[in-house]
Amino acid sequence: MKFLVTKDLAHSRLLTYLMGSVVFMILIYLGLDTALHSYAIGLDMPGIEATLFGDAENFVEPILIDSLLLQVHIDLFMTLFALLILSSIYIRLYANKPMIKWTVHFLFMLGMLTPLMLLLSYFAGNFFAYMWLMGFLIWHILAVIMAFVILKRLLFR
Amino acid sequence: MKDLSLYTIPIGYMIVYVVLILISGLWLFLLSQGLGSSEGVMYTIQNVINAPETKSLEGIIEVATPHIFAMGSLVFVVAHFMLFSTKIAQKHALIVAMLLFVFALFDIFAYLPITFGLLLSGWIKLLSMLLFVLLFLSMLAMVGFSL
Repeated sequence: MKFLVTKDLAHSRLLTYLMGSVVFMILIYLGLDTALHSYAIGLDMPGIEATLFGDAENFVEPILIDSLLLQVHIDLFMTLFALLILSSIYIRLYANKPMIKWTVHFLFMLGMLTPLMLLLSYFAGNFFAYMWLMGFLIWHILAVIMAFVILKRLLFR
Repeated sequence: MKDLSLYTIPIGYMIVYVVLILISGLWLFLLSQGLGSSEGVMYTIQNVINAPETKSLEGIIEVATPHIFAMGSLVFVVAHFMLFSTKIAQKHALIVAMLLFVFALFDIFAYLPITFGLLLSGWIKLLSMLLFVLLFLSMLAMVGFSL
């Protein structure tokens, strides 16, 4: 983070390429993370309900709490790193924009609450599963938009 | 100069995320020791002390591999913010950070003596987890105080 805020590097071509590349990798990560969750949990309500609560008709057992908690544990870690990098670069490039503060707050809040919703849904029913689905999709879309906005500034300034 | 105060937002959230990661990690460990089927947390802790669950070397490596990377990088990321602290001396941050790395290793490999039959009690694993979590919370408090 120290390097990202150092004024001397404001016109460094190397830093521009490095930031662009890591944001590109995070873009790919966001896509793959969505695909991974669609396999592991599901990205539609019938699929999510079958994963969390089982499906007696099709002999699908509900997910074990150990497996779900491990997913939440990993999600929190990965989300933290992805958002720390994205938001640091975003703040560096758009520090003067008025909405930046609330965008970063919103993104971190959603990224944090979404895995907790998944855990809550296991104990408290499918309302929280719906919240998880909405939260998961919104924070991924928002992060993708943030990544594209960063790349736009880096590539076309 | 950039508006540096904005960086306090991601750093603040990082503290909350790390606390949640620590809580979910502790919960996962207790589940692996039978929390789901036993009578409660205290009973499970007693169980860990008296008769810890047996784990194979493969099982330990399976858990240790992601954790050695994740804990190392997380300690680095959290501790490096102390470089910018004007409220806490870097000397103190250095001591806490180095101890954190040592306790992280201790925590990750604490199950080895149990697996190899050198220890029958799981107190060493509980002690290592407790030390790591408490020290990490101290580091987070230092970062939070410096914001």
